[in-house]
Formats: sequence, structure tokens, C-alpha cells
Amino acid sequence: MTTDRTSNAALLTAFVIMSVAVAGYFTGLQAPMNSNSVDSERSPANQLTESEEPPEVGVVPATDNGVIPATDYSEMVRMTAARRTPDDLASLKSSIDPLAEIRIRPEDKLMALQQRSQNRAFNGAPPTVPHPIDQQSDVSCIACHRNGAVTSSLLIPKMSHTMMANCTQCHVESEPRHLPSVVFRENLFTGLPAPTGGPRAFPGAPPQMPHTTWMRSDCMSCHGYSGRHGIRTTHPWRSNCLQCHTPSATLEQTLQHTEPQFLPGPEISNNQNNGP
Amino acid sequence: MKFRELRLKGQLAMSFDSEPMDAAFDRRQFIRASAMAAAAAVAGITGPALPILGDESLTGVNWEKAPCRFCGTGCHVQVGVQGGKVVAVAGDRNAEVNKGLLCVKGYHVGAALYGKDRLRKPLLRDGNSYREISWETAISTIADRIQAAPDRFAFYGSGQWTIPEGYAVQKFMKGGLSNNHIDPNARLCMASAVTGFLATYGVDEPAGCYDDLDACDVLIMWGNNPAEMHPVLFSRVIDRRSRGENVLLIDIGTRRTRTTEACQHYLEMKGHGDLAIANGIAHLLIKNGTWSRKFVDQFCSFKAPDDANPNLHGKAITFEDYKALLEPYTPEHVEALSGVSADKIRMLADLFGNPSLKITSLWCMGMNQHTRGTAINSMVHGIHLLSGHFGSPGNAPTSLTGQPSACGTVREVGTLSHALPGGMVVTDAQNRAKAEELWRLPPGRIQETPGHHTVKMWESFCTPTDKGGDISTIWVQVTNPGQTLPNLNKLFNPKGDNKAGLEDKFLIVSDVYPTATTRLADLILPSAMWVEKNGMVGNSERRTQQWFRMVDPPGEARDDCWQTIAVARELFNRGVEGMKDRDGQFLFDIKNGDGAPVPIWEWEHYYDTNVDEHLFEEYRQFTRFKHKDLAPYGEYVKARGLRWPVVESDGQWQETRFRFAEGFDPYVAEGKEIQFYHSSTHDDRAQIWFHPWIAPAELPDNDYPFMLSTGRVLEHWHTGSMTRRIPELSRAMPGAYAEMHPDDAAVYRLRNADRIRVESRRGSLIIPVWIDGRGKPPKGTLFIPFFDETLLVNDLTLDAVDPFSKQPDYKKAAVRISKVPS
Repeated sequence: MTTDRTSNAALLTAFVIMSVAVAGYFTGLQAPMNSNSVDSERSPANQLTESEEPPEVGVVPATDNGVIPATDYSEMVRMTAARRTPDDLASLKSSIDPLAEIRIRPEDKLMALQQRSQNRAFNGAPPTVPHPIDQQSDVSCIACHRNGAVTSSLLIPKMSHTMMANCTQCHVESEPRHLPSVVFRENLFTGLPAPTGGPRAFPGAPPQMPHTTWMRSDCMSCHGYSGRHGIRTTHPWRSNCLQCHTPSATLEQTLQHTEPQFLPGPEISNNQNNGP
Repeated sequence: MKFRELRLKGQLAMSFDSEPMDAAFDRRQFIRASAMAAAAAVAGITGPALPILGDESLTGVNWEKAPCRFCGTGCHVQVGVQGGKVVAVAGDRNAEVNKGLLCVKGYHVGAALYGKDRLRKPLLRDGNSYREISWETAISTIADRIQAAPDRFAFYGSGQWTIPEGYAVQKFMKGGLSNNHIDPNARLCMASAVTGFLATYGVDEPAGCYDDLDACDVLIMWGNNPAEMHPVLFSRVIDRRSRGENVLLIDIGTRRTRTTEACQHYLEMKGHGDLAIANGIAHLLIKNGTWSRKFVDQFCSFKAPDDANPNLHGKAITFEDYKALLEPYTPEHVEALSGVSADKIRMLADLFGNPSLKITSLWCMGMNQHTRGTAINSMVHGIHLLSGHFGSPGNAPTSLTGQPSACGTVREVGTLSHALPGGMVVTDAQNRAKAEELWRLPPGRIQETPGHHTVKMWESFCTPTDKGGDISTIWVQVTNPGQTLPNLNKLFNPKGDNKAGLEDKFLIVSDVYPTATTRLADLILPSAMWVEKNGMVGNSERRTQQWFRMVDPPGEARDDCWQTIAVARELFNRGVEGMKDRDGQFLFDIKNGDGAPVPIWEWEHYYDTNVDEHLFEEYRQFTRFKHKDLAPYGEYVKARGLRWPVVESDGQWQETRFRFAEGFDPYVAEGKEIQFYHSSTHDDRAQIWFHPWIAPAELPDNDYPFMLSTGRVLEHWHTGSMTRRIPELSRAMPGAYAEMHPDDAAVYRLRNADRIRVESRRGSLIIPVWIDGRGKPPKGTLFIPFFDETLLVNDLTLDAVDPFSKQPDYKKAAVRISKVPS
């Protein structure tokens, strides 16, 4: 129990620090990403370019159970007044240019994957919910996750399967809110880790998707502006993702047989070699 | 053997072919490792996290199909295996049942194999502790117990038995030991559904299938919470709304649940209110003239219970008799009995009276765990028949099962105390002769008298031998009766009481984890589970499914089926006559392709051949008798399950979506439209039953003022022995609680997480309260889920059973509560 608490606290701290970092990245505009030359020495990992250190932004700390404390009334009066000033209105403008070029360092991507793995049992598992949920209805899930959002303190992922209506069927709370947290028995399951990228035909080739598109049909829900910085697309101005990034037939399970079948080739007869 | 090859080929075809490793690989690895270390340092991560490897993590993962281990829905999963371990699970997109979707249990099913405390060695009780023994000792200990008193030995099985496992035990008990004391946990789960189908159609299992959920205009859930218990099926319906379709959802229940939130109508009823509601609908259909004269005249007869001779045949009545019996069930009277307003009863009757609507009814434990379970099951079939809402896509009364093979292994293989495979019964001389013929047994081997049903079996086990307790040894496989039997203080707990006079009783338990049952076991056997063994199961829609062993079981854990066969062989070696067929051959004699016997009773040789395939092909012959035809094993290897009857036509094995309906069911004669070809009246007609409303077996009174209901939750499957060891599920739902109404909580000055003592006439339990939690019970009622082995609600429940199905009622027990000072 105590070790659990300690590691939870560590994870929360990690989350806060990483949120600072991720949010910071959004503000910086980067230099054009790459030259036209294809460097055959480059691996997919180090094709990612360096970025500058992100500036710090203010973050509202979460409480132990992940709930952001309500503002008290005196504070609310002050904030309401502050909000009315024209200067403040200007600051509400999003600092994110959705078409700005994104630069991602290898460690950004690893951090994003690490963050994602915190509430997934294996690559492809439905994420558990890192905040309290309404036990009885899905309406509150839809309210925030239908479109997703990025605020100064929160990253709200967008649903990538809006046709589904029964959220809690797959997404359960990471921590119980109604009873003390007890992991009943230790489990030795080791989940499949997330890959850092899909396979490429050659350096510089567009990577194949390393995951299924089933229930991940909206690429932008993870790779768009409300996704984690480390796995955002570096070319958000292009919107036809599947034009270059092909799904994997195995992971899509669309075909019973993954080996392509062909008609027999032309029968080539060589008179000289014909036997008797 | 050929399926092994097929399987290996399949694995190769499914493996993710990656790019060949290049020279840059090592450097790349190094860069990743350093980058990861840097990222981890920046983030200050110390807690557990998945190792991040790179795209090579996708290589070497073999994906193979299997049905999910948990409920009766029968979703198929793709199991990702790497390095001899299950590492990932995906919904199978080629499976018709779930079409690529799973629920949270299904997505995490792989972790069910890797709880740290898996049982790894056979354990024999030695006073208050256990000592590890060899499998040889374990097998001979069981053989000793059986030989000492063969007629006092009982087998308690499960709807989680695979079809071959159940079939082997069935043959071992009834055909080998001439002993009918074999019954499954499914007795506690769907026995009343069986008797409802038998009473109505003369043959068991639903006529409709899940395709009805895609076609229905109205879905009525009778005491059913599929949003949590059958989430994939529930999504299948409510996701239709996302596509712009209209479906009217009606929840008839005793508490508000997640299902209620998605329904247009919630009809809150009192326990046993369903009996009144069904009669109220029939009353109005007749009164309004909206019943289907054509359907009833052509395809139905009427029945009422015969009090002098209570059985599933009852007595024939006329339509006029039926009408007269329904006369008292006016909407107002039904309101008084059920608590559901007369207007809502009229609404239901208007829906059933509208022939242009397609209506599907779903039910599960609400109607089955009911002391009038046979009655309410028959009556819901009855209103579908009376109104003609039957036999076309979207029009079906469909009962759901809770276990992966309650249908496949229990209902079809017949692992019940009175049944034989293929829908036959031990009480019928011709049925016995057929089974003896197929099993190549000498005539008269199978006993005529049914064995003990579940409640009777455990009552006898917990009664001292000198006081008439005629069961002295029970072998439990794949189930956890120490948690799921009702009234545990009567039916299970005495085993652990030194003063109960049960010293001569012996409990054998095959399981994968320590449970509430192994707690009192004398011999514990470690079993292989799910994809650690080959298997076949049958889901709620008559779909038979197959999978192959993919990983090794831990330690010395072995297949349940091997355990049974090894004991049978030990008895054979000791000269027990029953273990031989009429030619003196071993009951489970299996020959390889060259005609040489394979010693499958030796574990090293068990997988020299596909035992499942041999047993299934033998069992398959039984399935013809009641037109529940199964295809050859190889067809199931190729398919994501097939719905029986599977009949060969033009060289193709064709499944059947809608039974008894022309154009769908190959056994319906041309021009018949609808043909109930197993009619109990032998005239191709189904029976519409009248049953009166009868009060529950126990009602709240001044001493015990609350009505207690039990049930399940989304995150945990049944007793939680598997799901509670999965961190994602256990953290979401760590322990049991009592749901209660806020007004009741106010009276007792209770707040969330306060502890209360809940007492019934049979036991007591201290448990935290959750007000307005997952579900909202009405005033005067409590709900406690049964998944928590440390908070056993079945210490409180009632062991009263339905008179026909012998299934207990877990939903209605009178209790009182008091606050426990903190």
C-alpha cells in the first residue's frame, strides 16, 4: 500500500512536470524541418529534429485524486472582474497556431509514449480514465472528449471513435473514487510496448501505421493539436493521412490471408532446353 | 495433426513481417535507449511503466483467434503472443458477434493468465496447511476416493468447461461410473431459461440470435443490465442510434443502472412484478383484439400448470380458458402487483399489439434467478407468440447466458444431473440406449434415476453421512461454489467447521487461482486455462467456437480434461469395469492416424494428438437427435464460430440464424412458414403458457425490512478470481459495496463509505455503503455485487429454488441493516 502511494505520487509529479514541458512546446515556432537531401545514414528515430527548450507556463496543480480544486467565492469575484478587462480577453486567444510546423525531438516522442503507457495495460489496450467519472451516464464523457481541447493545464484527448456511445464499456477509472484503492493480487502480465514508429521501406519513406485504424479512424485525435506533443504530426497542413501512411493488413485484420495472391506468370518455353 | 499444421501456417501468415534489421540497428537502439533515459530523467519517472522498445516490438507477435474467456456473449479476440506469453489483445474484426469491439474485461483478458499467485503444484491438505504432491499421488488419491464409494462421488462442473472437457466428464460419470451425480454451476445461472424453452418449444435454446439486435425497433430488457453484463451486445444496439437509426429501449428492472440511462422508458418493478406485467400484456392483447390470430391459430396451443401433476407438460387449455385466466390481470391490478403504472402496461401492450414493429426481448439473471423462473421465461415467450413477434429478424424472445459455454457444454453436452448429450435425458430408456450405443457400452450401464441437482448435491455434501448426507466426495472443476452457492452457511461453509461432523467428506478442486472454494478443499489441482489449452465453447446464440493452445500453462498446471482422463485411466488400470466399453477398450481410447493408441493419460503425450478434435467428433454424433447438428471440427477452425444447426448443403456447411423459420432453418418443411418441429404436443405447435402471479419466496417484514438483490458489475466477471487479479480492473472496482437509496441512508444516518451490518435469517456481512453509486436501488432495497471473495453476499441469500428448474433466487432476500460504528 505505502509503496503504491509513493509511486502514485511520483507519477503525478511526473505528469505535472511533463504537462509543463508539453504545453511549452506548443508555443515555440520552429525552423523549417528538413532539407531535401536524404541521408541514408539517418534512422527514423534521428530524423526527428532538435527543438529549443520550452518556456515555462503556469499549471494548476492537481490534488491527490486528480481533481482540480474548486475556486472559492472570494477568488471567483476577483477573477470575474479580471476577466472583464479587455487586456485579459486578448489573452484568451489560443497561443497555438494549428498550422504551425511541429518539431519533435526523439525524447519528446519517448516521453509521449511513456505518458500514454501510464494508463494502458499494453499497446492497443483501451486507456483507463485518469479522473473521476459519472458512474451512471456517458453524457459527461462526451461533453469534453467529443472535440478535445488544450488548456493551460489540461490536455483533453479527442475521441477517435465518435460512433460509439457506451464509453464506460471499455474505459474504466484508473483509481477507484468510491472505495480505497487496493490492487487485489500482484499480476505478472507484461504488455506489448508501444512502438516508436511504424516500419519504413527506406530512410525517408513514409512510415506504415504501427497500429490499427479500428477505433482510431480520426488520426487527429492523437496526432493533432489535442494529442501529446511527442506524437503530433510534423506536417499538420496535410490532411489526407492515409494517402502516404498505409495501414498494416495484419493489424487491421481486414484480410484472412496476408500473403498476396497472383495469377500464374507467363509460361516461358525455351526450345533449346526442352527435353525429349 | 493436420490442424496443428494449419494453425502454424496461420501463425506465419498472421505474423508481422518487419523490415530486415540493418547495420544502423545497434546505433538506433543506443540512441533510443539514451533518449529514453533522458526523457525519464526529465520526467522524474520512478513508477512502473512499459519498456519502450521501438518498432521491433511489433515483430515476432503472432496473432491468433480465440473466443474471450469471460461471459456468454462469445466475442472473439485476437490474441497477441510473443516469447511464449500473451502480450496484447485486440477485438476480432472478422467476428460477427463483436465486429472488432470488446469490453474492458475482454481487452484485459490476457492478463488473467499472469496473476502472481497462479496455482502451480497439486496440493494436499495436511491439517490446516497443504503440502505439495506429485500428479501421480493426486490422481491416485482421487481414484482411491472414487473406488471407496463410487455412488457417493459427485462431479460439480461449469458453464466454463469447454465442450470436450464437459463431454469427457459426462461420459466418465454417466457412462463410466454409472453415476448421475454430475451438475454444473449453470444450474445457478440459466436452468430456468432451459425449462422455459422446453415448456414452450419442446427443445432448448433460443430461436433468434444477435442479428435481431441489428433489426429490432423495440428492445425490451427484462431485469437485465446489458450495459454492464453484455456490453458488446448493448453497444451493438445503442451504436445504431449514432448512425441515425431509431430504437426504442425499455428497461424493466428493480433498480436504475447504466442500462437505464440509455433507455427511453424505465419501468421500475417490485420483485416478481414481471409475472404480473407479462400477464397484463397478454390480457390487453386479447382485450384489444391486437393478438395475432393467424400466428396463434397456425402455430400455437395453450397450456396452464397442472397442480396435481406438476411438470413441464402441464395441462392443455383452450383459448377461452386462457382468456378467462387472464381476466383478473387488468392494468390497474398489474400496477398494484408490480409497482409499474397502468399506463406503462398499456404502452407495452400497444407495442406488442403493433405488428409492424419488430420487438426483441432480452433477459438474463433477473428472470432466471427467480423462484418462478420457468413461469416467467415461458410467459415472455408466450407474449411474443401471442402477438406474432416471432420468427423474423428483429422479432425474438432471447435469453442471454453468463458463461462462455453455458449453452455449449451444459445445455448441449447435457452436463446436468438428468441429461445426456444432444438434448437427451436419463429417464428415457430409448435415450439411454442411444447413448450406450454411441459410447459402445453394455446395455443398462447408464442409470435411470437423475442425480442430485446443485443445491441438493451441496446440501448432501454438507450433511453428515449418518444423517443422510449421501455425497462424500465432490470434484469441482472450473468454478467457485464457495462464493456462488446461495446460503453458503448451509451449502458450503459447514465443510470448514470442525464440529459439523463432516470429517469423512473430501473436496477436490481444480482451479487456476486460490479461491473461496479452494479455501476448504482437501485436494487442490492446478489447471491450465484459456489459451494454455485447446478448447471449444458455445455462446448464447447457438454459436460453437474453437481455439488452439497458444502458450504453456505455468508450473505443473494441466488441462482439466487431462485430469479427468488420467483419473479414468487410473481406475481402468485398477480393473474398474465401468472404465471399459463393451469390448474391453478404455472409455477414452484414442488412436492416431496409423491405428496405434495414443497414451493421452500421460501428460507428456496429451498433446501428441488433438484430444479436443477426437472428443468433439464423437460428441457430434449426438447432436443430430434434436436437430442441433454441429459441423466437423475443421469447420470451426476456419470460422469465428458457427450457429447450429450447421447443415451441409452443396458441399458447404451452412449455419442457421433463425430457428423454426422457413428460409432460415433447413429443418422447416417447405411451405410451413413456421414449424416447431420438436413440439411437446407433436403437432409442430409451440405452447403459450398461463402462469399466475405468485409472491417471492421471502418478502421484507418488520424484522427484516429491506429487499436485497445481488448481481454483477462491468469490471468483474462473476467471482472475480480472474478479473480481480488484473490491475486495470481491480483498481477501477476494488471491492464490494452495498448500494442503497439516499432516503434510506438518511434514516440510518449513513454517508458514503460508512460500514453497515447487513443481516438476513441466514447470515450477516459488514460492508461499506455507496449511495447513488453505480446503480440506484429504490427505497427499501439494497444491491450488493457478488464478485468480492472477502465480502460474500451469498452468506445472506436464500436457497429456495424454482420447482421445475431447481435454480435458486439470488435477487430477493429479506435483510435488515445497522450502522457499524467506525
